Amino acid sequence: MDTSEKEEFSGEKRNDNHPADWRVSGSNPVSAPPFGSYPTENLITASCSPSQMMDSFGQTLWYDPTNVQAVGYGGSSSSSCFRGGMDWSLPNLLPPKGNGLFLPNASSFLPPSMAQFPADSGFIERAARFSLFSDMVNQPLGSPESVGLFVQGQCPSSEVNVGGVAHNNVIRCSEQGSKPNVSEDTQSSGQKGGETSSKGFDSKKRKRNRQSSEAEQSQRSEEEAENNGGDKKEQSPNSPGNKTNSGKQASDPKDGYIHVRARRGQATNSHSLAERVRREKISERMKFLQDLVPGCNKVTGKAVMLDEIINYVQSLQRQVEFLSMKLATVNPQMDFYLEGLLAKDVRELQLRGGSSSATPFPTQNMSMVYPPLPHGFMQQQTLSSVGRTISSPLSPMNGGYKRQETNGWEGDLQNVIHINYGAGDVPSDPEAAAATASLPSSNMKVEP
Amino acid sequence: MAFAENHINTDVPEKDVFALHFLQTLSNLSTQNPFSSPDKKSDRVKKIKKAAYVSMARAAGCTDRLWSRALLQRAAKRNNKIVRFPRRRKRVTWLRRRSNRRDPVEEAAAERLRNLVPGGGEMKTSKLMEETAHYIKCLSMQVKVMQCLVDGLSPK
Repeated sequence: MDTSEKEEFSGEKRNDNHPADWRVSGSNPVSAPPFGSYPTENLITASCSPSQMMDSFGQTLWYDPTNVQAVGYGGSSSSSCFRGGMDWSLPNLLPPKGNGLFLPNASSFLPPSMAQFPADSGFIERAARFSLFSDMVNQPLGSPESVGLFVQGQCPSSEVNVGGVAHNNVIRCSEQGSKPNVSEDTQSSGQKGGETSSKGFDSKKRKRNRQSSEAEQSQRSEEEAENNGGDKKEQSPNSPGNKTNSGKQASDPKDGYIHVRARRGQATNSHSLAERVRREKISERMKFLQDLVPGCNKVTGKAVMLDEIINYVQSLQRQVEFLSMKLATVNPQMDFYLEGLLAKDVRELQLRGGSSSATPFPTQNMSMVYPPLPHGFMQQQTLSSVGRTISSPLSPMNGGYKRQETNGWEGDLQNVIHINYGAGDVPSDPEAAAATASLPSSNMKVEP
Repeated sequence: MAFAENHINTDVPEKDVFALHFLQTLSNLSTQNPFSSPDKKSDRVKKIKKAAYVSMARAAGCTDRLWSRALLQRAAKRNNKIVRFPRRRKRVTWLRRRSNRRDPVEEAAAERLRNLVPGGGEMKTSKLMEETAHYIKCLSMQVKVMQCLVDGLSPK
């Protein structure tokens, strides 16, 4: 069975249907095999969604459950690959977001895995592929690196194959499009995606990786020292590296460099590599901005997009200016409004305290949040109550106010004004403490 | 694409945070100089506008963002002196100029964006885009807050 799987995995291109390859002997991918089982079953389980995996690994508490969402999947998959000791420091292996993977950790987890499995090239291939496939989250981008190292250390002959297959797997996994859901990626990994998402990997030039040590590899990183916890670059659709040995992989070692690999058929000059990284970063962020700016979905092309973004920012700034002009015209009312707040803050506090059942609002809470300035302290208390009122939902009073996502927020404001002017309606406030507690206790420096 | 958002954090606090900061700043403003410049409308407008930006920068995370930091610095220094930071950009060296990584069209647009976004003169383009995204979110939130305030205070 082992050899048959090896043949199955090693020779072919990775464009065909994944699930058939990954399922071995009809075992159910959803089931949670015990740890002592065959490694391929672990591979299969790792191909499941991370939630399923977590269920299967739930008994083993060798990973921080809080890290599971972001980190645990890749780590658990690697662990399932290598069946290392349960007492791995998984957080070490997969550092929190923002840091890079410590390449030396690769060696740290290698020995236990080595002890567990026969170092046959086929299994190592599968393991490498698998871990590369499963590392769809930010952090463990380094682990494919380490796995790659491991593989290279063990069987240099099969390296190219591993790289190619791994890349193919990775590419397919990353072809899922827009959703960053790890579970989605892993579940749809078996399917062929249409295009590559920003989770694309470039395979490094294998030769260099082979000979370089881990330290050397970290230094071979590109000039751009981004420390964004695993930069995901978008593969341009015209990349020819889909089916070949080359791919793109970005790992994030602890020195904060991004490892970029040259794609097949492209220049491997370090400058052009860095440039490609930079271009893809920019395009990735452009896509993000495209979602943000309304009416930019149909626009293609960087120049037009940028123009749209610039227009939008300018329009927002003009709106701020216009509204501040309007506020200036109603300034006397505003002063009166604020005065009213000052006068009625005590009463409002009492009202708030009476109406809020879930969240008591002790006075000392406010004094914690707002450092007591002798002059502005009363104002801050008032404003905190105002904030609570604003944040609280409202019995419908919003007349003609446009609906925003926070339900009845404008009406709350109107309500507050009515309270101050004596109309006297008391809304309930569930999130009062949350609103004020969320304020950072920054200095209340007055801006002249 | 949304996968990338995992490491681009553009979370923006809720509207009430913005509202609170804005109202705080406004009240500080009004109590500071109650009668000094009530007639000069342009001054008032400027003050309110500045209050809006400053409160937005504070609400959105004082020093977490480059643009908010730059905004607050600019606001703080405007009283004393105008400091123009030199536009230190990591620009292409003569080695890299060969590779056409600097698209001229894109660079022109990026330049305009730098002029718009506070603190944009010193960022690399990728960082600039990130900051722009967050800035846009905060700006829209601030606009909503101010709109609500105006609607609430305008004579009915």
